[in-house]
Amino acid sequence: MSKLNPADLQGFVLRGYNMPFARYCFLHFESPKRTRELLGRLLSMVTTGQLWDEKPKSAVSIAFTFQGLAALHLPLATLNTFPVEFQEGMKARGRILGDTGVNSAEHWDDLWREGSVHAWLGINGRSLEDVTTQFEAISTLMTETGGARCLGIQDAASLFEDGAFNAKEHFGYTDGFGNPDYVDICRKAQNGQGKLDKDGNWTPLATGELLLGYADEAGELPVAPVPHLLASNGTFMVYRKLHQNVGTFRAFLNKWSSLYGAGDDLAKEKLASKFIGRWRNGTPIESSPDAPDPDILQRPDKSTNFKYGSDPTGARCPLGAHIRRVHPRDSFGFDGRLINRRRISRRGLPYGHLAAAEDPSTPEEAAQWDAVDRGVIFMALNANLARQFEFVQQQWIAYGNDAHLGNEKDLLMGSHGEGEKFVVQGDANASNPPFVCSSLPNFVELRGGDYFFVPSITAIGMIAKELVDPR
Amino acid sequence: MANKNGSIYGLTLLCPILNDENASPSHDLQIREYLSELTADSQSPFAVAPGTHLARLVVMDDVVYVGMPACEEHLKSKYLVLESNFDGDLDDYLVGLATTIPEHLDAIWGHCNGYPGSSDKAKFVQYMKDCQLETTFLFAAVNDKTVTQTLAALQTQRAVAHFVAEHQGADSAKIQRDFIEFLKILDAIPPSKPAMNAQPRNIKTGGRNE
Repeated sequence: MSKLNPADLQGFVLRGYNMPFARYCFLHFESPKRTRELLGRLLSMVTTGQLWDEKPKSAVSIAFTFQGLAALHLPLATLNTFPVEFQEGMKARGRILGDTGVNSAEHWDDLWREGSVHAWLGINGRSLEDVTTQFEAISTLMTETGGARCLGIQDAASLFEDGAFNAKEHFGYTDGFGNPDYVDICRKAQNGQGKLDKDGNWTPLATGELLLGYADEAGELPVAPVPHLLASNGTFMVYRKLHQNVGTFRAFLNKWSSLYGAGDDLAKEKLASKFIGRWRNGTPIESSPDAPDPDILQRPDKSTNFKYGSDPTGARCPLGAHIRRVHPRDSFGFDGRLINRRRISRRGLPYGHLAAAEDPSTPEEAAQWDAVDRGVIFMALNANLARQFEFVQQQWIAYGNDAHLGNEKDLLMGSHGEGEKFVVQGDANASNPPFVCSSLPNFVELRGGDYFFVPSITAIGMIAKELVDPR
Repeated sequence: MANKNGSIYGLTLLCPILNDENASPSHDLQIREYLSELTADSQSPFAVAPGTHLARLVVMDDVVYVGMPACEEHLKSKYLVLESNFDGDLDDYLVGLATTIPEHLDAIWGHCNGYPGSSDKAKFVQYMKDCQLETTFLFAAVNDKTVTQTLAALQTQRAVAHFVAEHQGADSAKIQRDFIEFLKILDAIPPSKPAMNAQPRNIKTGGRNE
């Protein structure tokens, strides 16, 4: 087995930085020569996967669209070996991804409609000042070299509530539990994060499910561009700007929870938990169906360590709950083996300001809330966009057959048309009744994004020095 | 048992296509042309003829030589392949095809060796049986229900789901009253017709590992 060299990986491929601030810059290249000079000088600033003694103030990452690599004049014999979905880009894959209706490209931000984004440059920082300091240093470098023009920036930050940053998103759910473990990736393995073995124990996934150049779950090297050195230790990233209609969400939850169970505050939180599969504080409802349990949350081993095998009807966690859809664990039988090649690693942060705690009082006010620019920047890493991210999006978010839910889509993420519904299976218990939410609105709207190649440190150097040789 | 799974029959036919050097376009191309114009919606021949769960028609040109160490082999003929999962017995199904879609059968199989036409049903059935291969794998999504039962069940499921959503939280007496009424309506609804969701078929997944 290949040995992992963290010094050759971009750090954010290995781990989420857990820094509360980020700025994502979208670059356009105008001269391959000047861009190569820029990359050469940026190289020493890119944060690697090496463990640090002291956490830095900020971290820098870079990734390229197919247009970006073409604008850098990589050899055609290399460009043509990139996977088709990456060459096409996310916009062209809209029909496969179910990015229709309000999510279709004509509703995207200008930045993403034009297809002129060549690179994503991410700066994560411990404070906003740390981010802007690093951003200014890089901007200076871009100006000095003339290597790239910044088409736009996207600021993102953890939500700040009660005097502290938290891991919540704008609908109030604690997020970011579900990242898989991979062999040799330096995180400590956590039960529930890898794959199930035949004895029902959790073990890490093959490294090649995340990184190019390593064996994947099929024992094969992931499809990757040539030369091997350009691809190895790299990965592919999905970037999606997901606008959240917080007014719509609050109104929907209030409307339906008033009809659910006792119709009180606990019923409201319980219904909210049924949408996602976790209570809003993050407690998995499969483990704790009646109430959030802080004890489970404080123990990483418990917060992700559960299966659905003893809940085949969805009485505890609905079959269509978000986390059950996108990470079905053992739901499909065969010891969970059907899902091992459909896992993705998530990065990313919320953007926009936290909405007020009190709900909007009128539909007009709710509509005003919806218009506020806030949501999540969804970033996912995987070795194979088509097999992993696109499959999850197409089959498990935008369709329901694998979950025995026919055409039903994910409640929160789905692009809903008329007559769609969400079913809470429930049981005979009065506090856990079967329930149907119908007339689903669109809670989340895609505002743009693309597919990116995240090269290794070596590969950035090869590009900078014009050493990419496919022969 | 081969060919059968419960009440569902799995049929595989390999029918040799005429090899006439003077035909232009050649017979296999004429079949391809005809198949490419067929729809998968409710006007599909297999939706018009009764009993088909899933059917597929393919022109098989040859076996593909994949290089060393495989030895290079070729088929003696081009073949028209039919794979179909249907309800009931083979004879009834074939007679059903010959009765309901004779013009399609003759237009397609007219390019095959020895095809007797569909008007003489006994000869037609015998010809098809002569071309039959044993089927041991059936389409996984077909359970042991007939096409009509499956369509009715889906229709009932949709209607009941709608009824539940509409009556959630309603007074029990009203639910019962409406449900009795609902059952009458449901019974009276004509069964839906078989068809595939006829979306464009040019979806490219791009996944070379798929």
